[in-house]
Amino acid sequence: MLPGSYGSLSKPVLQARNELTTLIERNPDKFMRLTFLPLFMHVRERLAKLIGAETDELVLIPNASHGINTVLWNFEWLPSDILVVVTTTYDSILKTAQYLSDRPPHPQVSKFKLEFPTTHAKIISSFRDHLRALPRRSSFPDKPQQVVAVIDSLVSNPGVLLPWKEMVKICREEGIFSVVDAAHSIGQEVGIDVGASGCDFWISNCHKWLFAERVCAMLYVPKRNQHIIKSAFPTAYWYVSPSDKHFSQFPRFVSQFEWNGTIDVIPYLTVGAALDFRQWLGGEEKINAYCHSLALAGGMRLAEILGTEVMHGKDEDELTLNMVNVLLPIPPRIKYTEAIDYTIRERLLNDWNTYVAHYTHNGKVWVRCSAQVWNEVSDFEYAGKALKAVCEEIVESHKDEL
Amino acid sequence: MPDWTFTDEKSLALPAVVDLRQHEELFKSVPPPFGHALHKFFGFDPEYINLNHGSYGSLPNLVREAADKLTTLVESNPDKFIRFTSLPLLTHVRERLAKFIGANTDEVVLVPNASHGINTVLKNFEWQQGDILIDATTTYNSIMKTLQYISDITPHPQVSEFKLEFPTTHAQIISSFRDHLRSLPRQSNSPNNPQKIVAVIDSIASNPGVLLPWREMINICREEGVWSVIDAAHSIGQELNINVGASGCDFWITNCHKWLLAQRSCAILYVPKRNQHLIKSAFPTPYTYVSPSDESFPRFVLQFEWTGTIDVVPYLTIGTTLDFRQWLGGEEKINAYCHSVALEGGRRLAEILGTEVNIRLPIPSQIKYSWAIDQTLREQLLNVWNTYVAHFPHNGKIWVRCSAQVWSEVSDFEHAGKALRAICEEIVEAHGK
Repeated sequence: MLPGSYGSLSKPVLQARNELTTLIERNPDKFMRLTFLPLFMHVRERLAKLIGAETDELVLIPNASHGINTVLWNFEWLPSDILVVVTTTYDSILKTAQYLSDRPPHPQVSKFKLEFPTTHAKIISSFRDHLRALPRRSSFPDKPQQVVAVIDSLVSNPGVLLPWKEMVKICREEGIFSVVDAAHSIGQEVGIDVGASGCDFWISNCHKWLFAERVCAMLYVPKRNQHIIKSAFPTAYWYVSPSDKHFSQFPRFVSQFEWNGTIDVIPYLTVGAALDFRQWLGGEEKINAYCHSLALAGGMRLAEILGTEVMHGKDEDELTLNMVNVLLPIPPRIKYTEAIDYTIRERLLNDWNTYVAHYTHNGKVWVRCSAQVWNEVSDFEYAGKALKAVCEEIVESHKDEL
Repeated sequence: MPDWTFTDEKSLALPAVVDLRQHEELFKSVPPPFGHALHKFFGFDPEYINLNHGSYGSLPNLVREAADKLTTLVESNPDKFIRFTSLPLLTHVRERLAKFIGANTDEVVLVPNASHGINTVLKNFEWQQGDILIDATTTYNSIMKTLQYISDITPHPQVSEFKLEFPTTHAQIISSFRDHLRSLPRQSNSPNNPQKIVAVIDSIASNPGVLLPWREMINICREEGVWSVIDAAHSIGQELNINVGASGCDFWITNCHKWLLAQRSCAILYVPKRNQHLIKSAFPTPYTYVSPSDESFPRFVLQFEWTGTIDVVPYLTIGTTLDFRQWLGGEEKINAYCHSVALEGGRRLAEILGTEVNIRLPIPSQIKYSWAIDQTLREQLLNVWNTYVAHFPHNGKIWVRCSAQVWSEVSDFEHAGKALRAICEEIVEAHGK
């Protein structure tokens, strides 16, 4: 079982969920109108502490995509504005940038090319060059150009750590907004400290590595940027119009994210149980020390069994936290089609009862394995057996392409 | 447990993947009568008198059981479930709901709640200067704010508010609405860039909880070249024979977790095929998004199948909800009961308060409805009297809205009457004359 994609529920969190659900069903009005808010605030306090933010800079949203879209859709774009994305940006976020560009007044999209294997030093250097090469002028004399970069802290495919803090610094140097897609960070990355990082926006999924119930994510917006987030989605009753004469006196950020239509609020409220569980297991540092060393050892064994290599090469500590990327033994001459993608998925899930994310990158086919607290090296060995068999089947059925 | 391994099925009913034989057995038995006998099918605190189903909804225990079983399945292998099983289950639910509301399956998608659905529609329009958004003074508060927000950002389309005050009649509403639309400033832009006028029309308003002549209002919109976005949050499970296709509306959104008794949270966004090109992107934008220039544009249904990780379980247990309602007697029987309890209960409540139906509170209009009064009502009702009704100011007076559901009886209204009389006496006392 590999939680990087959808997360998984532990027994303590399941119990918290059941108890809270029973409570809300006893009296929904009482719960939503009187009980909910203090519980909600407590969760925000705990999470804010965890990431080095103030409580009033942190709100909860259903998932990271929702949070990133909230930020990007709130900018009032101009034709000369630029959204900077990366070839490794999560696919739906690439589509978000595309949609915003398709929409009048058509801000530009600039894509930074990122191919692995590479090193953090090279990434930092190329990223700086890329930003410096952007056309910097506004379409309007009285409105500054807005350049907004979406930077992954941990990329999805491949599952690698980027030098995001340095990239945020470069953005600041170049007068560019940094939106950090940290979907995979909380519960995997230790010592996050968003306040110190100087990032402009930071979004992470609690229902991935932090063990919270699906769905629950965090949107961090430092006070200096909260005026940019004019409206949540959906717009809340607490939205304050600039035309309102009390505009500057009303709180406008946190209050807009307390109620956005009826949703199941229970997942937000089970975060405490997830944090307690992780504390009991040994705490963030112990958990991640285990997962990290397992990712390295497991990745190595997997590569051995497949007769291939691990993506991070010698830069294991730079690129790999708890997700490790291993090359599949499928010759590049075989075109990676949807049918092959489907075969891998179907065989792994139905025949071998396991799963790893699989994807193409830089002309080759890779798998991404997530090392969690319940995993051991033998899981990677099992995956190796499975993948070896599946790849042999694929190579055999495509041998005329070789 | 039924076998749920990979299937080629395009549409799967929930019992195919979780064991719901217990429910099937139950549904063979004679259902209990409406009223307090149905309390045991819900998770209510036995002491709580629930007269405000309209706000947050409540799910039957057996829907929660189905949901828990489904969650267990999802958790046993999230990748397998989400990548293989969830889509056929979702398609099946969409089929059932589409039939229910008189639409084609491919015109129905599920969203987390009505606000989300309405925001998706309104924020997809590419607004221009001179465009107009119309709401009513009775439009739901966060939807009013949505229009306000859209008007606040460039290029600042206008908001035009239609004044709607009760008591009034459907005939009066229709006539005033037509006058209102006809009085709007019309611009003649270039033909490929026409002025857009978009009206948000409640089928059933929230405060007060009243049915509007929404079909006639749609007809007027069509006559006047105005888009109609129907906020039908309260409709499904309360309004019979909805038939959205025949209504000619442009967009229609309803909450399944209100009167339909589905699990929180789940709503329908209906977009007839002719308008799907307007919904360019779901929120959040999904990986299935394509630019308008792409030949497969707009890919409406596809865009709403996956919008980041969400909890699909509320969507997928709707079948159980529909089966439960069928077993209780079906939509007509359910609504006949609820309607008659609402009428009788309302009458009794007005009697106890010494006021009139649609139920005015005995608080003199000289006393301003402040945040403190609102707070007092809420806390006293919930903490002291263990009941709740929605309370709000309208047209210079203070009103309550009571929801009559399958578990309600007139005695519930009498209890609320006692509670409200006591609280109002306290409020009037505290405010002098």
